[in-house]
Amino acid sequence: MLRRTLYWSSHYLLIGLYVLFALFPLFWLIKVALTPDDLLYSEGIRLWPSHTSWDHFRFVLTHSEFPLFFRNSLIVSSSTAVTVTLVSGACGYGLSRFSFRGKPLLVALMLITQMFPLVMLVAPMFRLLAPLGLTNSLTGLAIVYSAFNAPFATFLMQSFFDAIPRELEEAAMIDGATRFGAFRRIILPLTLPGIAATGGFVFTAAWSELLFALMLNSSSQASTFPVGLLSFVSKFSVDFGQMMAAGVLALIPACLFFLLIQRYLVRGLTAGAVKG
Amino acid sequence: MSAVSRRLAIGAEPYLYIAPVLIVIVAVMLVPLSVGLSYAFRDIQLLDPFSGGYVGFDHFRELKADRNFRAALFNTLIWAGASVALQFIFGLILALLLNREFPGRRLVQALVFLPWAVPTFLVGLDWAWLFNPVVGPLPGWLFALKITHDTNNLLADPGTALIGPIVASIWWGIPFFAITNLAALQSIPKDLYEAASIDGAGVFNQFRSITLPLLAPTLAITILLRTVWIANFADLIVVMTNGGPADSTQTVASYIFTVAFRRLDFGYASSIAAVLLLLLFVYALAILSLPRLIVQRQS
Amino acid sequence: MRPALWLAAGALGLGLSPSAEATTTLKLVEVITSPERTETLKSIVKTFEDANPDVRVEITSLPWGPSFEKLATMVAAGDTPDVVEMPDVWLALYANNAALESLEPYLKTWPHTGELNQRTLQLGRVVRNTAYMLPFGFYLRALYYNKKLFAAAGVSAPPRTLDEFVAVSKKVSSLPGKYGYCLRGGAGGVNAWMMFGALANGSDVFFKTDGSSTFTDAGWIKGFATLADIYKSRLAPKDSVNWGYNDVIAGFYSGTCAMIENDPDALIAIAERMKPDEYGIAPWIKGPSGKSFPTIGYTGWSMFASSKHKELAWKLIATLDGVPGNLVWNRRIGALPIYTTAAKDPLYADPRLKGWFDELNDPDVVPMVMPVDLRVWALFASSIVPRTSQSLLLGQLTAPEMAQQWAQVMTKAKQTQK
Repeated sequence: MLRRTLYWSSHYLLIGLYVLFALFPLFWLIKVALTPDDLLYSEGIRLWPSHTSWDHFRFVLTHSEFPLFFRNSLIVSSSTAVTVTLVSGACGYGLSRFSFRGKPLLVALMLITQMFPLVMLVAPMFRLLAPLGLTNSLTGLAIVYSAFNAPFATFLMQSFFDAIPRELEEAAMIDGATRFGAFRRIILPLTLPGIAATGGFVFTAAWSELLFALMLNSSSQASTFPVGLLSFVSKFSVDFGQMMAAGVLALIPACLFFLLIQRYLVRGLTAGAVKG
Repeated sequence: MSAVSRRLAIGAEPYLYIAPVLIVIVAVMLVPLSVGLSYAFRDIQLLDPFSGGYVGFDHFRELKADRNFRAALFNTLIWAGASVALQFIFGLILALLLNREFPGRRLVQALVFLPWAVPTFLVGLDWAWLFNPVVGPLPGWLFALKITHDTNNLLADPGTALIGPIVASIWWGIPFFAITNLAALQSIPKDLYEAASIDGAGVFNQFRSITLPLLAPTLAITILLRTVWIANFADLIVVMTNGGPADSTQTVASYIFTVAFRRLDFGYASSIAAVLLLLLFVYALAILSLPRLIVQRQS
Repeated sequence: MRPALWLAAGALGLGLSPSAEATTTLKLVEVITSPERTETLKSIVKTFEDANPDVRVEITSLPWGPSFEKLATMVAAGDTPDVVEMPDVWLALYANNAALESLEPYLKTWPHTGELNQRTLQLGRVVRNTAYMLPFGFYLRALYYNKKLFAAAGVSAPPRTLDEFVAVSKKVSSLPGKYGYCLRGGAGGVNAWMMFGALANGSDVFFKTDGSSTFTDAGWIKGFATLADIYKSRLAPKDSVNWGYNDVIAGFYSGTCAMIENDPDALIAIAERMKPDEYGIAPWIKGPSGKSFPTIGYTGWSMFASSKHKELAWKLIATLDGVPGNLVWNRRIGALPIYTTAAKDPLYADPRLKGWFDELNDPDVVPMVMPVDLRVWALFASSIVPRTSQSLLLGQLTAPEMAQQWAQVMTKAKQTQK
């Protein structure tokens, strides 16, 4: 009995520490966002300012270009998520169900694309996209993000498909359905949680990307919110309060998305559970 | 449909599925990547339109003698090693904790995974603030807990500066390992554990003989991917310390950034990137053959 | 009002610009971006557009932090604007690579050329004695000091010499948690190193006649060592080894450190956060030779050689740099005027600017122009100086060693350029 109490109390203690560790920096973001400018430095270390103000949030929403940046981020991230889910879903299915010549090569290729520092790709990518009119555009950004996220999304989708036994489509194909038909009508509905998870994962990744958003797009019409955050750092002042407020606002969709999908990510990645 | 054309159709099937991803990756990534790699053999000064001549292996020769590169490589080992190891350990522990059913588990799970949703620029800024003695609570707390001798910013001391970005990356990266390990843990059939405990095996033994081997492939892939990402990851360092003070937090990734965007020497920067690519590729091969080794040792 | 405007623009779709049959579009890029400043820029540009009805100016405001790499990437990929804001530190890079158009032919026929003060054209012509940029204003260093901290430390007046500076710093640093000097150890700190070096050296000559650097002279080394000692004796916060522009300004207005040397545009940030009786501005300190060497920097407008509308681009520059555009601009951004008559303008009668005008009128004050004509200067200032000076501050290098490294870079650059 004592052993069990000891076990569970240490279990809860550790869980508590993890939750505290995860949430404290986020709490601090909110705290700074609610601190009026004059108290930012004089009361910097306090856990909560002596009086709070919503001014920063108000400014970000009404006086800055943030609503525009937010909208641009939404467009880019959603289209990237949709595109990647589609193409990586197809590729993941292919990798899961078939063995074909060039399969190891494809896997190696996808791995290699993850290994090259993105900083070096900026200039060549700019030169590639500029003549196509895809710089300074949200479309160009979505295309670039899709390429970046496709490899990892493919790996995710492959593991989701691995969890579903081949017998399901094969039975349907014996009954006369095409593979694609079986895929569409039988497999796809089963992997809906996995698809949602992958989509959410890609959305979060595209939502926070800064380097290419900064380098490929120049006008504020095509800027996403991470670039917008940078605009709070100017020579005349660094508006930390406003920057944190903008950051908190931008976190909301990403956190919501993530909260929704994290369950499915775990469930979907559980390869082999169905077989068990 | 004749037998031959049907066989062709079936043979072509897999390629149809993988085609979209292949096209996207080749067109958008491979072409710039090859161009980027080719810079390593040419003299490319970003703002000099007359540069671009072929220089062969000159950059690599310069690299061999470059003390800054060696120092950056050393820092990268510490940076990647500590970040990945600690993220992995803490992530695995969290996964183990979440693997048991308990009241409030769903809520806890959602909360501890939140850090992954924060953009890295903001993560760096947030933690830089937390470590700043004027506006952050950490220096005061560390001092009160007798972990540090004073309330100075540990980002300003070359001996401790790397700790800042490492802690920030751990905070950000734990969810990744927790999610993937939790999924893998949950796919291990429970009856294996039941059989083992009937046989009298203790908790550690079960972990070593059942959990670890079955977890090994997932562990290998996730550790590999994470290390590769972190080795290439300059954001946190650039935001928190800018490679300083005195280059004590300069890693290969941030060194590439400095060479490319301060010295504007894309040729040299590309050669560094090429070397990094090679090292990571070798590392990948090594890691991917590890599960096989573990399994062989077990049997 | 603004969000509705943006939502409407967004609703019209991406990248739709108002089309007009005969409209020429000029591209203007600003790099030291700040929201209020952009507003002023837009209003000056509007007067240009009103005067030239078939021309539209598209303003791109680069975020200040990554502006260097962003502009470099754009230019390298061929996405060049017609007119760009050009800081002195970048001029050599772009001008020496034939990216910029010479403004000499336009200046010959410009009516306002004669009203520019001598320094304007001299500094615009730093590269190959050709005006590749037309400065719009000057940034001269002066000494900001915190009156409250001084009072608390028993200091009655701002220091006027190097020795007084150190003594005042010691007094203020004896207050718990306070420091005398806001050191800029990170990016952009090169100005302070040059200023202290030249002070001790008694001269701002950077090169001998054969092109070799003077940094290894005893005077420069003594200046570098003095600044390093200020940090090592804890007269500056330990954190300041990493401090950039925003950190030193924040350190000043938060009352952490009492003195900072900076340009008139820092006044904008400081005046917003401090009450007028809490701070003062004095001329920069003088060295043992009786002379003072505050650095003078400048930013201006340049035209890209690839511009397809050079005449129009010049007209835009003329509007931005003309009267009254330039005065309105400088009022907003806090730079010193380029026009000889401007000193009498009511804008510059602000008592807080007295410190700078005193400097300009004092014969013992020698505004020091750093070797920005060297192509390596941008790299030197942004990367080599922070790295090596941080090593010096942390005791990893000695002052002679650092001076030696700097001299090597400078000598090589000077002797291989041109």
